[in-house]
Formats: sequence, C-alpha cells, structure tokens
Amino acid sequence: MLSQTEAKQLIAKILSFSKADDCDVTVGAVESANTRFARNSITTSGRTSSIAVRISSTKDTKTGTIATNETSETALRAAVARSEELSALAPPDPEYIEPVGPQKYPEISSYDAATAAAGAKEMLPGVRAAIEGAEAKGLTAAGYFERDAEHLAVGNKRGNFGYTQRTTADYSVTARTADGTGSGWGAGEGGHLGDVDAPAAARVAIEKSLLSQKPRRLDPGKYTVILEPAAVDEMLGPLFGSFNARTAEEGRSLLTRKGGGTLLGEKLFSEKVTVRSDPFDPRLTASPWSGNVSTSLGGVGQFFFGGGGAGFGGYLPAQKMTWIEKGAIRNLGYTRYWAKKKGVEPTPAPGSNLVLDGEDHSIEDLVASTERGLLITRFWYIRFVNPQTVQLTGLTRDGVFMIENGKIAYPVMNFRWNESPANLLANLEGMSRPVRVDGDLVPAIKAKEFTFTSLSDAI
Amino acid sequence: MSLSRRKFLELTGSAAAAALATELFELPELNAANTAAQKPSASLAALAEVALSTAKKLGATYADIRINRYRDQVVALRSSPDFATGKTNHVPTANETQSFGFGVRVIANGTWGFAGSHIVTRAEIARVAGEAVAVAKANSALQRQPVKLSPVKAYVDKWTTPFTKNPFDIPVTEKLALLEKANSEVKAVQKVFAAQSSIVAHSEDKFFASSEGSRIQQYILQSYGQVQAQARDLATRISRSRAYSPSPVTAGYEVIEEVDLPGNGRRIGEEVVEHLSAPPVTPGKKDLVLMPNHLSLTIHESIGHATELDRVLGYEANFAGTSFLKPEDMGKFRYGSEVMNVVGDRTLPRGMSTVGYDDDGVQATSFDIVKNGVLQHFQTIRDQAHLIGEAESRGCCYADSFDSVPFQRIPNVWLKAGEKPMTVEDLCSGIDDGVLIDGRGSWSIDHQRYNFQFGGDAFYEIKGGKKGKMISRVAYQARTPDFWATMDAAADQRFWQNHGLTSDGKGQPQQINAMSHGCSPTRFRQVNVLLTD
Repeated sequence: MLSQTEAKQLIAKILSFSKADDCDVTVGAVESANTRFARNSITTSGRTSSIAVRISSTKDTKTGTIATNETSETALRAAVARSEELSALAPPDPEYIEPVGPQKYPEISSYDAATAAAGAKEMLPGVRAAIEGAEAKGLTAAGYFERDAEHLAVGNKRGNFGYTQRTTADYSVTARTADGTGSGWGAGEGGHLGDVDAPAAARVAIEKSLLSQKPRRLDPGKYTVILEPAAVDEMLGPLFGSFNARTAEEGRSLLTRKGGGTLLGEKLFSEKVTVRSDPFDPRLTASPWSGNVSTSLGGVGQFFFGGGGAGFGGYLPAQKMTWIEKGAIRNLGYTRYWAKKKGVEPTPAPGSNLVLDGEDHSIEDLVASTERGLLITRFWYIRFVNPQTVQLTGLTRDGVFMIENGKIAYPVMNFRWNESPANLLANLEGMSRPVRVDGDLVPAIKAKEFTFTSLSDAI
Repeated sequence: MSLSRRKFLELTGSAAAAALATELFELPELNAANTAAQKPSASLAALAEVALSTAKKLGATYADIRINRYRDQVVALRSSPDFATGKTNHVPTANETQSFGFGVRVIANGTWGFAGSHIVTRAEIARVAGEAVAVAKANSALQRQPVKLSPVKAYVDKWTTPFTKNPFDIPVTEKLALLEKANSEVKAVQKVFAAQSSIVAHSEDKFFASSEGSRIQQYILQSYGQVQAQARDLATRISRSRAYSPSPVTAGYEVIEEVDLPGNGRRIGEEVVEHLSAPPVTPGKKDLVLMPNHLSLTIHESIGHATELDRVLGYEANFAGTSFLKPEDMGKFRYGSEVMNVVGDRTLPRGMSTVGYDDDGVQATSFDIVKNGVLQHFQTIRDQAHLIGEAESRGCCYADSFDSVPFQRIPNVWLKAGEKPMTVEDLCSGIDDGVLIDGRGSWSIDHQRYNFQFGGDAFYEIKGGKKGKMISRVAYQARTPDFWATMDAAADQRFWQNHGLTSDGKGQPQQINAMSHGCSPTRFRQVNVLLTD
C-alpha cells in the first residue's frame, strides 16, 4: 500500500518543503486485520490502515519534531513548517549528532503477499480451532489473531533513503475450565500467516487448561524452575537496559562497577549463555537499519531526548552485535552521541532482534532431567523493583506444574516472584532449542534457586 | 468559522483530497460553560451520514462512526552532567503529534464488525463502512449469541472540557524556560546527578454519530507536567530517583501554572539525596499510611480493574485477565471495611476520564462501586449491561484512537474521604510501627487482581505515633479483599486529592486509557512489608 516509489516520492516532497539545515523523515504505514474472541465467540474484530509520518527539522542543533497521519500536500507543508517553528523555539541541544549521510542498506525483508491480503476469512480456521476445540472439552476460549503488513521508509536532507516492507502474524489463545480452577495458554507467531500453527497453539492451551485444574498450594521459597520460552523472553527484556554504556558509566546500572567504571569483560552468567542481536537471522523480522521506524503516531508516551541521530542506531545499516559471550559481558551499547564522546563505534540498541542460543534439547528433555522443580508456562505484570540490580517482580500464569523425578506430577497455584534475570542467567543449568517469541529467539531455561515470595489465588 | 457549502463539497467530494482536520474541527471554544447551546458540526454530520447509510444498505442493523482528531505535545528537558567536564547539559525535546481519521462500527448478522482509515473522504468512508459489514458477516459464522445493545437516548449535543488557557497556544519557549527553572532548582542541591522535567498536552476532537440518531461533538483536553531528580553514589553503587508528579487533569495550561514545578524542585532534590543513604526497612507486618499520589495506583489496580465487567465475564481472559469477582457478587461481596466507599464517575471535575458522553454515545454518569465495604456495581457498556440484568449502560466505553475498537474502560474511580475530622498526623498518631508511603514506585498485580505488590517513591518510618526519618527498600504485598479489610481510617475532605493516570493498557490490540483515582491519605493495619533490593 506504500510502495518504494511512493515512499521515495513522499519523502522527496516533504524534503522539498524544508528550509532547515537538516530534515529527517520516517514513514511507517501499516495495514492490519485482527480477529478477537472470548466466551467461545468472536467479539471485537477489525481491519484498519494507518500511516505515521515523522518529521524532525534542525537548525543550529535546535530540533523540532512533528508526527502526523495527514499526507495531503497542504497538510505536509504545514507539518514541515510547524517542525521548523518548534525547532526555532527550542534551545540548542548540546548532545546533538548530525543525521547520517547516504547509506548502503542490506537486503532484509520478510514480506509475504498472501499474509498482507489476509482478512477475517483467512483467520477464521485458527479461531475455529480454539473455539470448537474448547467447546468439545467443556472449556471457554479467549484469544486473538492479528496479521500486519508494514511499509517503512527513512530519508533525510543529506541524501539518505531506505525502504523495507514486512509482514507478521500473531496468534494466542487462553482456555479456561468451567469451574474456574484451570487455565492454559498457547501461542504462535512468525513473518508469514503460514508460520502460525493456530490449531497446535490451541491444543496446547486446551491441554494445559485441563492439566492445571485444581492446583495444590505450595509454600513460596526457592525452587529449581523450567521457564518456557514465553516466560524467558518476558524476563530477559528488562536486563538489556543495563547494557547502555552511558548508564553503566554514570553509575546507574547493573553493569556499573562499585567505585566507578563498568563490568565490561566480567563473567557474570553461566558459561552456556551467549546472547546477540542478529537482524540477519531469517527466523526474525528485522529492519535493514538500526533504529526504529514507528507505524504508530504514539502520542505523548513516545518521546526521546536528543535530536538528529543521537540515539541508538540513527539509521545506520543493521549490524550483528554480541552482548554476552559464554557468560561474559562482551559489549555495551553506545548511542551515536555517547560513541562520539568516547571515540568508539555506535551500536544497535541492546536487546533488539535478540537471539539467545539454546541447546539441542526439548522442553520434555529438561523436565526429564529434573528431580524436583516447577515448570512455568508464562509470566504476567513484570515490573522493576530496583532498576539498578534489575530485581523484578511478576507472577506466574496459565499453568505451573510440579516436576518430580523427571515427570510432571501435579499442578500448583500461581506465585508472585521477586527475582533478577541476572540471577536466572547465573543459575542457568540447561536450555531447549530456541523458538520465536515476541520477535525474539529464546529457548526454555532450566535454572536453580528461583525466588517465589508469595502465593496468588488467581487462576 | 464554519465551512462554506462550496468548500465543504470540495472537501468531501469523491475526487477531493483528504479533508484537513483543522478545517473540519473548528478551534475549541474557551470556557465550555457556554457551549451547551452549540450544535455539532453539520459538515461532520454529513460525512457521518455516508457511513450510516452505506452500512444500513449493506444489511447492518446498527452502525456508528467516530470522526476524531488528536493532538499531543511533549516539551521536555533533561539536565545532566557532561561526562568529561561535569558542566550541566540541558537537552531539550519539543515533539508534536497530530492524528485524524475515522472508525466505523456495525452490527450485522448479530456480530460486531469494525474498520477504520486515516483518509477522510466520502469514498473512503463508504468503502470502510462496507469493510466493517464484511468483517461482521464473516465473523458471524462463529457467533454464539447475537450482540444486544442496551437502550440509549438519541443526543444532539456539543461538550467541551472546561479550561481557560489552551496549552497548544502557549509558546514552547515559555514552557522550556519553566522547565529549565525547575531543573535548576533540583540541580542546585549538591549531590543531585540529573534532573528531568516535562509538560504535556493532549486533546481529542471527537464526533460521534449513530444509526439511532445521536450526533455528538466533544473536545477533551488534558494537561500535566512533572519534574524528577536523580542521584547516585558510585561508592555504594546505589541510584535513586524522586519525582514531583502533580496530577494529570482534564484542563488547560492554567494547571501548569497552579502546580508550581520550580517551587518543588529543591525539595525533591533534597529528598533524593536523603533517599540515597536512607536505612533499609525492617520487614514484617506494619501499619501503612498511604498518600493520595501513591494510593491512587493501588485503587486503580485492585478496584478499578477488578470491577470491570468485561474482565468479570471473561472478555479479557487472553490478555489483561479476568477478575476475582463474579457477576453474582454484585450487592453482596465484602470488598473491605465499613469505612470503604468507592465511586465510578465520568462527571468528576478535572477527572482524566471525564467526558460529556462515552464512545457508545451514553451520557456520563456517576455510580457506587463499593458502599460501606460492599460491592454495589460493575463498570459497563451497552453490549454487556444485559448480561448482568441491567437496563442501561454506565457509560464506560472508550477507544483510544479513531482506528481502535471502542470497549469497556475504567472511568474515574475514587475513594471517599473520611467523614470525621482527621489529619495525616492523626492517622500516624495511632501507629507504633509503620511506614508512610508517598508517590508511585514499582507496581504489579495478578491477572485476577488478587495478589499485588507496590513500592513507592519515598518512604518514611512511623514510630511512636509520629512520622520520622526517610527509610528505603520498601514494598508491600497483599491480597485485595484482605488489604481493603484493614482500612480503618481516611483523612477528611480537606486532604482529598485527585490523581490521574495516563497510560493504562488493556485489550488486543492494546489500547491506552486515562482516568483519575482520587482519595485522601488513608491508613491500613498490619500489611506485609518486604525488604527489596
């Protein structure tokens, strides 16, 4: 819906209105179809198309930014003028970094025309699998199926231009028992609708719902756990904020050394742990550049400090970066501003396009290797308790099972936990093969001494 | 400044370019008190008619369209030291966002269908209305019970948030100057590392038309600002922050002038430094005095979300979760102590969820959620009221964008102040060993809203009936009905404050909602207090 030629023309038109020293433009267009269901029936569903044009104008390091979804010539002219007006009113930015010049971007695309054309009809079979599968067992299903087609472009007054398009599909389902004592969850995602095995995800949710019925009370405390990939991904994300070199050097990060300096090079985690950002992994959906082009206007929640290209990436070509190698801190993340300050190369954002290499095991293998421990389906409502130690709190959800002598023995009640992903990676004993979760590639992790602090009555 | 007929035809003709939001939505009127007599825009009503007639022609039994324009402005300033020289760098941000488009919602074959677009032309409105009907018809294959809407009157009205200063008219330079003054006050305190502050404005121009005859135009305006201090100690490897976060409100820039960001800068600077070396709490069962800027979030999580009818019925089971409450608990369930009284309210002055009408076209209401500790009512919208035997919706429907599906969201949910004269000192005087918590820290609650854990922004010990020195590393953990059962007193109306939240998430795809949770400082007995990292 926004071809490369159209994107190029749109950006050229915007730049032709610019009177500023620099003008940076991103365009993110998305066409979405979604089907939502609950109580074994389809509820709110829809089909939408939207566009977000973001224009930053800079004069003498003073930057004003405007985002709009109106693309008529009059509206764009007004938007450019307003961004220039804002930049004239802003004070100089001492951390300003100039936008990049012309770049050569790698070919990264995961566009699938069939996914981009799919609507309610194409998603119906996946929804039917959940609803009819649940009904057959006397359960209630709720879930969500969405597919997106995104068209992203970047350009600026210095002659840079980049374009990419990609599709994604996501499906998830929760099945609950009629007596309210059991709940299970399953999910699937990929770059193409065909990557999502909705009936398989529905079967997992249904099976877990039945297995999790009438859970037993277990005392909170420290347990060996096997976290399924969904739980691992939710817990790892917050760790990578600590990899910002500036925060670490300023004394505000897990990777700050006591007394000053950073923990770069230190071995903090299990030897088995290697984590990298890899935008070239074909199992992921990445951009040809580092840095985000938003398809959403975002509103008040989305703002950042530093005009031009001061942040992570700044639309430099996508690159691989290893953050943790065999348990040691291999690299810290440098924004373009901090990199210039420190005389090093800028990096992609830590934790973006995340790949955690697993081991050649199944989750069943991990269960079989466990004498006593807990199998955790997923987490819920994770928040920082202490950003510096990355102590997090959160809860388990949709299936916690006691493992005894290598076998699932019985379901247990949900827990609240207070724990740091740094401890999880330090106490890691084994992993499964990685799968795609929320745009990352992560395995299930088996780790000892995971801290549960109280019981939750929630099912 | 209404559009001429010719201009209107130009804008809405099938060959015309998309209509400009600024031309369709007139400039907001200052002082809404006089807007009652005003009529919604005829140009918008004519565009809406395209959707309603197309949907009807294609077999929809109900249709509505929302044509909306949103504006956001964030002006922010970070003041932090240059690493090499130690000199303070003031790094500014000036961002604006504007978005404009429409969403059409229909019922066909007893099933909802929705579609939206950012291209506001007659042709696109007709196409999208057809798309919404097609979605409804396709999905009706798996519909078990037809959608049923509770009745609502047809309103033709215009409503505006009361305000006196349009924040979008205040020069960005003036805002940045205020922020620099606030940050400089924070940075004047030795040992403060960095300061950060912001001023935000958000507006929604909304036009709603339904096949049942309503034509409603509204202008909602939100304004807020805050300033934050950061400090760190390299020797102990501890970093802390402290914020002055006056409540976000529906109002204009006048509120930024009222809350005095610079006047609070030095205080939070001193408090963040004190927090750096504050001794850790001794964990165990303790009495708590929770200040309004903290308790508002506990109300939000443990009452606001738990009493949403869509959660109770299972509509959110796959994402936000369900509730520990059941439909049959209405009128019976003991939520808390006798002194607990909670109101759901979209009419509250300056409440972040305060409107004239909700996104179902239902006029704003106020209703009891908890009375004398007993659950009274759930939050409802038109398609759910009948499921619990209620005749009318309580007006809790909202969509965060023109292209988002309207669904049930939390209104302003507030806790009544104590009836007897009572100050914070009086609340503390009854406590041997307790903690006073100010501001928001970490928060987390389970998916049925039972088990929660909250931190805070600043903690003070209460010993021998008096508020004492600052302590650190505090969180409390409780089960919702057990916690509210321990509420034994609240300060009186003089100390009641509204506190707005701006980014509550729910739904798939996720949508954001804002609302306010007012309360006065309130006391809870023997709550489990944890020592955190």
